Amino acid sequence: MFILRFLARRLFQGAIIVFLVSALIFTLLRVVPGDPVRLMAGGMAPEALIDQIATEMGLRDPIYVQFGRYMGGVVHGDFGESFVRPANGAAVGGASFNDSTRSERAKVLDLIAQTAPKTIQLALLAMVFALIIAVPIGVWGGLNPGKLPDRLALYLSSVFVSLPNFWLGIVLALLLSVKLNLVPAIGYKGFAYTILPAFVLAIEIAPFIIRNLSVSVAGVMGQTFIDIARVRGLTRNQIVFRHAMKNSAVPLLNLLGVQFSMLLGGVLVIEFIFDYPGLGLLTINAVMQRDFPLIQGIAIVTAAAFVLINIVVDLCATAIDPRLDY
Amino acid sequence: MASIDITAAPPAREKTVSARIWHLALGSTEFRIGLVVFVLLLAAAVLYPWLSGIDPLKMNIRDKLTPPLFLGESWSWAHPLGTDQLGRDMLARSLVGLRYSLLIGISTTILMVLVGAVIGLLSGYYGGKVDTVLMRLTDAQLSIPMIILAITILGVSRPTIPAIIIVLGLAGWPVYARVMRSTVMAERKKEYVRGAMVLGATDMRIMFGLILPLVLPPMCFVAVLDIARMMIFESVLGFLGLGVQPPTPTFGNIIADGRKYLMNAWWIATMPGVFLVLTLTSINLMGAALERARNTIYGGA
Repeated sequence: MFILRFLARRLFQGAIIVFLVSALIFTLLRVVPGDPVRLMAGGMAPEALIDQIATEMGLRDPIYVQFGRYMGGVVHGDFGESFVRPANGAAVGGASFNDSTRSERAKVLDLIAQTAPKTIQLALLAMVFALIIAVPIGVWGGLNPGKLPDRLALYLSSVFVSLPNFWLGIVLALLLSVKLNLVPAIGYKGFAYTILPAFVLAIEIAPFIIRNLSVSVAGVMGQTFIDIARVRGLTRNQIVFRHAMKNSAVPLLNLLGVQFSMLLGGVLVIEFIFDYPGLGLLTINAVMQRDFPLIQGIAIVTAAAFVLINIVVDLCATAIDPRLDY
Repeated sequence: MASIDITAAPPAREKTVSARIWHLALGSTEFRIGLVVFVLLLAAAVLYPWLSGIDPLKMNIRDKLTPPLFLGESWSWAHPLGTDQLGRDMLARSLVGLRYSLLIGISTTILMVLVGAVIGLLSGYYGGKVDTVLMRLTDAQLSIPMIILAITILGVSRPTIPAIIIVLGLAGWPVYARVMRSTVMAERKKEYVRGAMVLGATDMRIMFGLILPLVLPPMCFVAVLDIARMMIFESVLGFLGLGVQPPTPTFGNIIADGRKYLMNAWWIATMPGVFLVLTLTSINLMGAALERARNTIYGGA
């Protein structure tokens, strides 16, 4: 029953965090200047109409009333409708305020559900690339602390961490897809379009994995049980792969949980550069268009994802290392 | 007399730890390489636009899209890195961009460390309810991706330099608050803090006079790495059009601008990035060396 108690406690804490996040984003969006109704109705709409629409949508009520109403909907799985995006996916924008097609607005949850799989695909592929790049470098560095491989790991991770993702994206798109015509870059018409963005994202994540692994592998290799394993006559490969790697996996897992928000930040920019139709591009457009319900929805969903990923990470960590107790 | 001894002893010991970290870091090759590159770039950023007298905003349509040295046909010594679509000198623009980038990166990191340190200090020192409330807030903030927070605020309000510094600084403090809290919790049980309490020192005096000077310097060594991170953030914001606004040149908006001319003038988008990468690599090398030195000293002590 340990696991149930653990889950109950963590989910309860997570719910509080998600609630705080939504309260924070909700208030922030309404405190800062910028009237979304002005954008929805278009620049030509008369002031009275704007006030009328805003009152109808409840945007002139006190913030806590609006928040209460919004959270009431969220509990029932209703995240509201986008301010600007029509349901049929046609062009966005507001030239005229009495355009009848604009009454059909897309549901926030649908928009998120449409784009999230693309982003998950991108993130998973990036993670695979990052592990392929980082694990050999990190482990090799950790096995030879202070020597050449360790220096190499330090220099490589310093260079990787210094490559701004948007610049690297542009340079690689120019080299690999324009000049050499190897991989497609812009838009999305199939799995091949994920490769280049995922690679750029992987370069962004790799240095953290390299640093983390080289430190923890070096730490594990200094322990007595590794010396004993040598005495027991295990080969070097057995020691490295069955003992050292397994023990270094726990800090790596924790890192993945903590770095989730960084990963998301990277996804945002990379999707923007490559025009990749995922959650990140949706977020940027939502912010540019002051689409409050969509921004709130995305913030809540990502906060929930953060909480869940951290719970899963902790569960996996206990599975790998039973000594850990949460 | 006793109180003088107590207040004097910890700073004296701390000085030697910081000095040892500096010494160890200065001895490493990475730190030296980073330092040399950084100083050269800094000198260029400070001196070149002033010495050469080139105005990074001056347009010269006749010289537009000049390629960098030795590339293409029409390159000239006047513009070592070429010119952009309006004939503005790329080298001067990149170096002015570097100034803004460093200014924002450093001030943001200072703000971030200060806010995080104070919140962590209060949380770790008082414990109990204060701690619970502050730490839950920290958790909530950690679970909103910083970039979403930053673009939300800057997207709906006007991005000016102080606004960018405040937004990035306020978005980045939670990690420091956490580290600070755990160090302070360990520190406040120690003899010298209890001694000061017995002697009747106020909480403020203990926190800001005794504990903070002791635990802040080790945190600052790690913060060097965050300067680079914040510079990347600033350029990302500029790239999305939410950073310092044109015509002021920053890495972000130069690259975003140059992207439109990528096919016929690749250097506009790529050259400023080379500067940015060099600067960031030099800062990261120094930061990594300092972090390593810190870990060695603390691990060994």
